Amino acid sequence: MDINTYKAQKAKYYKVLVGLLLLTTLTFVQPHLFLENATFAIQLMIGAVKAWLIVMYYMHLKGETLIGWTVAFAIALVVIFFATVITDVNHFQFKDSSYITEQHASAGEHVQHHEE
Amino acid sequence: MSHEEHGHEYVPEIATARDGKKYEVQGWQGDFYGGKLGFWLFMLTEVMMFGAMFLTLTYYFSLHHDAFIEASSEFSVLLGGTNTVVLLISALTMGLGLLKMRAGDVKGAKLMIYATMILAVVFLAIKGVEWTEDYHEGIFLGLPALQAGNPDSRSFGEILFFGMYFTMTGLHGFHIIIGIGLMIWLLKRINAGKVTTEHHILHFNIALYWDLVHLIWVFVFPYFYMIGAGHGH
Amino acid sequence: MSKSYLDAGETHCAIGHPKSVFWQWMLTVDHKRIGLMYAAVIFTFFFVAVFVALTMRIELFAPGAQILDGDTFNQAFTLHGVIMIFLFIIPGVPAVFGNIVMPLMIGAKDVSFPRLNWFTFWLYIFGAIIALSSLWTGHGFADTGWTFYAPYSLNTNTNVVTTLVAAFILGMASILTGLNFLVTIHRLRAPGMDFFKMPLFVWGIYATAWIQLLATPVVGITLVLALLEKVFGIGIFDPAKGGDPVLFEHLFWIYSHPAVYLMILPAFGIMSEIIPTFSRREIFGYRTIALSSASIAGIGYLVWGHHLFTSGMSDLAKTIFSFLTFFVAIPTGIKFYDWVATMYKGQIHLTSPMLWALGTMITFVIGGLTGVTIAMIGADIHLQDTYYSVAHFHYAMLGGVVFLLFAGIHYWFPLMFGKMLNERKAKIGFYLNFVGFNVLWFPMFIAGYQGMPRRYFDYLPEFQIYHQISFFGALIFITGLIYMFTNFISSMKHGEPSGTNPWNATTLEWHLPSSPPPLENHSKVPYVDFRPYEYHHGEPVVKFNYETMQRID
Repeated sequence: MDINTYKAQKAKYYKVLVGLLLLTTLTFVQPHLFLENATFAIQLMIGAVKAWLIVMYYMHLKGETLIGWTVAFAIALVVIFFATVITDVNHFQFKDSSYITEQHASAGEHVQHHEE
Repeated sequence: MSHEEHGHEYVPEIATARDGKKYEVQGWQGDFYGGKLGFWLFMLTEVMMFGAMFLTLTYYFSLHHDAFIEASSEFSVLLGGTNTVVLLISALTMGLGLLKMRAGDVKGAKLMIYATMILAVVFLAIKGVEWTEDYHEGIFLGLPALQAGNPDSRSFGEILFFGMYFTMTGLHGFHIIIGIGLMIWLLKRINAGKVTTEHHILHFNIALYWDLVHLIWVFVFPYFYMIGAGHGH
Repeated sequence: MSKSYLDAGETHCAIGHPKSVFWQWMLTVDHKRIGLMYAAVIFTFFFVAVFVALTMRIELFAPGAQILDGDTFNQAFTLHGVIMIFLFIIPGVPAVFGNIVMPLMIGAKDVSFPRLNWFTFWLYIFGAIIALSSLWTGHGFADTGWTFYAPYSLNTNTNVVTTLVAAFILGMASILTGLNFLVTIHRLRAPGMDFFKMPLFVWGIYATAWIQLLATPVVGITLVLALLEKVFGIGIFDPAKGGDPVLFEHLFWIYSHPAVYLMILPAFGIMSEIIPTFSRREIFGYRTIALSSASIAGIGYLVWGHHLFTSGMSDLAKTIFSFLTFFVAIPTGIKFYDWVATMYKGQIHLTSPMLWALGTMITFVIGGLTGVTIAMIGADIHLQDTYYSVAHFHYAMLGGVVFLLFAGIHYWFPLMFGKMLNERKAKIGFYLNFVGFNVLWFPMFIAGYQGMPRRYFDYLPEFQIYHQISFFGALIFITGLIYMFTNFISSMKHGEPSGTNPWNATTLEWHLPSSPPPLENHSKVPYVDFRPYEYHHGEPVVKFNYETMQRID
């Protein structure tokens, strides 16, 4: 590649680095500074933005079509698995008598988990 | 993963249509895009694997919300945070190395690979320090605090949190070790003249791999270290 | 006589240029030879698992213990399941015909990563050895069932760890096969062959490869977590530490349900090849069959919860999974209607491959419809874990996937060996298998409906009649299998030379310059400006000059 492309790409790398460092700083300070109640959500959102920058620029996904769709498909699947399983576990049918959601001081009621 | 042909240069075949038009046939040799596509597909399997682990983690986070946050506040954000920055810089050095290789600066590329390797070792060293500290505080796989039914047992939520911590950072560290191995192999291939500015799919893919390793840490770090960071300890 | 890929010296190797025939096979990267080696190995394992099953059938002939005790029986059905699923049917059609036929169908010289293909075969062998070695070490083979449910799998002292390690390695082999095929199909199609000019078998392999790639890692990590749990006591699935066994079931079935689509999609691809060839007609609804393969792969990721109907899932989840399970049957139904429509007003040739295909249509419909029955939550509460489920999945997997695998062997035998099978013996073999299969499995629907539980070593006397009928069916079926395989072996040696296109079919694997195929496949890569199943009045439209691969029609 010619020297100008090289310089341009190098500049881009450094710009993304600055972005990532800023976001990382944000990660460190957020739990102490703002929206402490939503720390989990904010942290993962910051992570998602960092991930997007890394995937698009460091991993060169920006110019790709087919590969971009395959990545989107895989991520969509993971999101669906998350949504399904996490929603389901929060509506577990036998939650009240479940051994694992409340710790019992004594041996306690041990529910027979139905096994397939 | 992919391969380069040197010594017998591959000459692609030509297919002719009925109207006389000629089309170059894509062979399996010398297929840079194919090598790229193949490696991305491999990385998707890593996404599914770590995705399932994050799923497990979130499953138990939703069952044991407060215990997870309490346990998280026990971790040193300083050590974990340093590692985050170390890995970030290493992603930069790896990327710059690839850029130099593509621009013809093979020597500079090798220097960048060395830099990445050193940062990777630093990452592992800091992780080793963290794990040793945890061990001395009684928090480690197999120790009574993380077993059930004994006086030192932590609560269910904490057992699961720490168990997943060692599992996920352990597997992540394993991938870092593999990454270091890949970089050593890459240097050897460059020195042997098999990886060059014209044929560098191996370098490209290993750089992608390293970015993936970094990407996983981007989510591991806040999930384990930061969710309880506002709670002080 | 021109050289074929089977001749000594006619192969490319991963390392060096060995002179000995043995090392030429051990190191070969040729997709055709690798496919044959997979076939030899998977069918050996198949027969081992069949004999384990026969042992179980003998044991179950009467209530009480006959030749096994309860613990050994548990190991037997685990061994049967692990071999059949991980060593036989998941590699199955992709490993054999995906390797041998798919590159030929798209006009390629090999897969995209031939050395990876070689490595993947030996990875599979390595995993198989580890799995089977656990028969003779420690406390013997695992006794958990092939599903390894927690917490029993965590607490039993049988060789669960070895089997989990083996299953992980075998999973890696499956992933790498899928990866190789995906890149091959995207990159190495002949010029002019866009996606909607590919043969439907290639569509089947393509859809399967997506499942191999994205679903297998989930079970891979689940097995790793179970392994770490057994070794380090992490607590993920162990209720004693707050872990949830239902999570194991979710993670396990997130893979294992798509896995069954991984098994059937290439098999349906084989059906889509056989039906037009022996109806002498273009296939009906090419595009819908192609897209149905893709949609089965996609929707198939969303139905795993029907294996957990009785585990305490929320009612909302159960309802959604039930609906999606019904929904995923629709693309399959579309395929069946399209195949029947292809045969309508066609010239039907009842050759042995066609017999197998038609027989499968009957058995798979039974398997599929009984699956829809248990997709109903209310019915499933009663039928879950009974012989009804067992009969359902054997009709679908054995009467669907394996029957079509046999159909594929009958269809592509001349391609692989340059010889024809003895047709008379092939047809006798089909009927023995078909009758035996149905006598073996159909009574189990009734037994299951009456309440006979699965994986039970002993049972109440009221179920005995069903077990006895099944046993006789098993004898007929095994006779049929042995008869059929004997025909394969003798035809390999003494079969009539077949020529390059004995069935007068249209797809590119039948347009090679010599039979058996030469090492480098087509003499020249053709330009593809034709659809895969073009027939006119029963004759193929497209004709080639085999030296130049130019069309001469």
